[in-house]
Amino acid sequence: MSAKVVTVTSGKGGVGKTTITANLASALAMLGKKVVAIDADIGLRNLDVVMGLENRIVYDLVDIVEGRCRLRQAMIKDKRQPELYLIPAAQTRDKMALSPSDMILVCDQLRQEMDYILIDSPAGIERGFRNAIAPADRVLIVTNPEVSAVRDADRIIGLIEAEEKGPGQLIVNRLKPRMVARGDMLSIEDILDILAVELIGVIPEDESILISTNQGLPIAMNSVNGSSASQAFRNVAQRLEGQAIPFLDLTPKEGFLNRLGNWLGGR
Amino acid sequence: MTARVGQALNIKGIRDGLLVKASSGSYADLLRQLTAELAQKQAFFQGSRVALQLDGRLLDADQLAELQALFTRHELELWAVLAEAEATRAAARRLGLATRLSGSHTDLDGNALAGAAPGVAPATPAQETPVAPGGLLLKETLRSGQSVYHEGHIVVIGDVNPGAEIIAGGDVIVWGRLRGLVHAGALGDESAVICALDLNPTQLRIAGHIAIPPDERRRQPFPEQASVRGGQIVADLWQTKH
Repeated sequence: MSAKVVTVTSGKGGVGKTTITANLASALAMLGKKVVAIDADIGLRNLDVVMGLENRIVYDLVDIVEGRCRLRQAMIKDKRQPELYLIPAAQTRDKMALSPSDMILVCDQLRQEMDYILIDSPAGIERGFRNAIAPADRVLIVTNPEVSAVRDADRIIGLIEAEEKGPGQLIVNRLKPRMVARGDMLSIEDILDILAVELIGVIPEDESILISTNQGLPIAMNSVNGSSASQAFRNVAQRLEGQAIPFLDLTPKEGFLNRLGNWLGGR
Repeated sequence: MTARVGQALNIKGIRDGLLVKASSGSYADLLRQLTAELAQKQAFFQGSRVALQLDGRLLDADQLAELQALFTRHELELWAVLAEAEATRAAARRLGLATRLSGSHTDLDGNALAGAAPGVAPATPAQETPVAPGGLLLKETLRSGQSVYHEGHIVVIGDVNPGAEIIAGGDVIVWGRLRGLVHAGALGDESAVICALDLNPTQLRIAGHIAIPPDERRRQPFPEQASVRGGQIVADLWQTKH
């Protein structure tokens, strides 16, 4: 067994890297895969909070690298998925506590026993980003449908190509279909027009993501409430597995309230 | 005399100094291994001239400058960068570095050459030749943050994305969508032109003139040519002249 190392990165902060890492890790684990998620955002750790594992941290990634613990000791087992693990970031250190070769070493040790190693990259293009992409077999670039996020994603794609990590695949997060329909938000076509990379996921804006993130329970694990975001995450996981899953139809539906709004607005 | 360091780096002596071969691996690895190697063998290498062989690897001007500074700190002189990527060669020229091992009739492996080796043009001493203001052809899309400088003309087969910049002494032709910044005639040539299949730049500059395109959205792209007329930059629809 040899794991695939998938790094989730974006350039710009706040586009949803951590949320996507947590949900993809969960969704892959639900497919029966052995998954470890690594938080490479040393000094600003978040992945543990989003996965609801904050209170179980004893050792972290920097402890592994500096030899204060064995790899296994820093792997926190998820509450719900038996084959899902988290290696948290150190909170009291900074990005210089790690080097790209440290990350390669850690991932190489994990490759034997895992199916997927997901790395949550910090924002920016400096050391932290270099650490996160060094061991990557595949890079997922997260962007939002806004000009600044797309600009940063473009820069990141250029850097990934220079590191010979392939062009990467794109996840567009926080899409609001209604705004796109009105022409007030960049559409998927607009984004692909600039970035010219393969699209692997479109996650609609969904309030339940925020709720689940605050509860430390990735929404991908909650398949019963019918959230389209939850479905979107599980679809990305299946596409990572090589399955051809069609993209969700996100054209706005004419609901009753919406029609009422249109009718009132039209008068 | 060959020092093999990991896989990313290979240092050996050639007729006129050292040849550092670094054609694969990440830039971070290269920098770290080179730092370690130079620190370790400083006394041995000291005072040598260094040629850096990158093959297909892409390095930008900042990275080359960082390497140059690293060599200087160890009392080595980086004088040439051998790269396949035009963007990397252009960055090297910008730092005043040669882009081929000429003058000395040795190939990249340090063997004496009877004739010209492919990829190495021994005809003219590179350091004496200012960049012939010919063309620089880039068959790639320039993404945000990438910058290309060339004293002659620049032709891009690909897009120039927002946040990317091209600065040319001569004309700039983009066979693709131009959405970034282009400065043509940057050395003062007012007759320079900028052509693109879709001219939709952030900003255009020709010689000392600057233009910001009008805010029009969602048009059908058509090829245009921008030039200086009557003291300002104007864009004309490209039409073949009958």
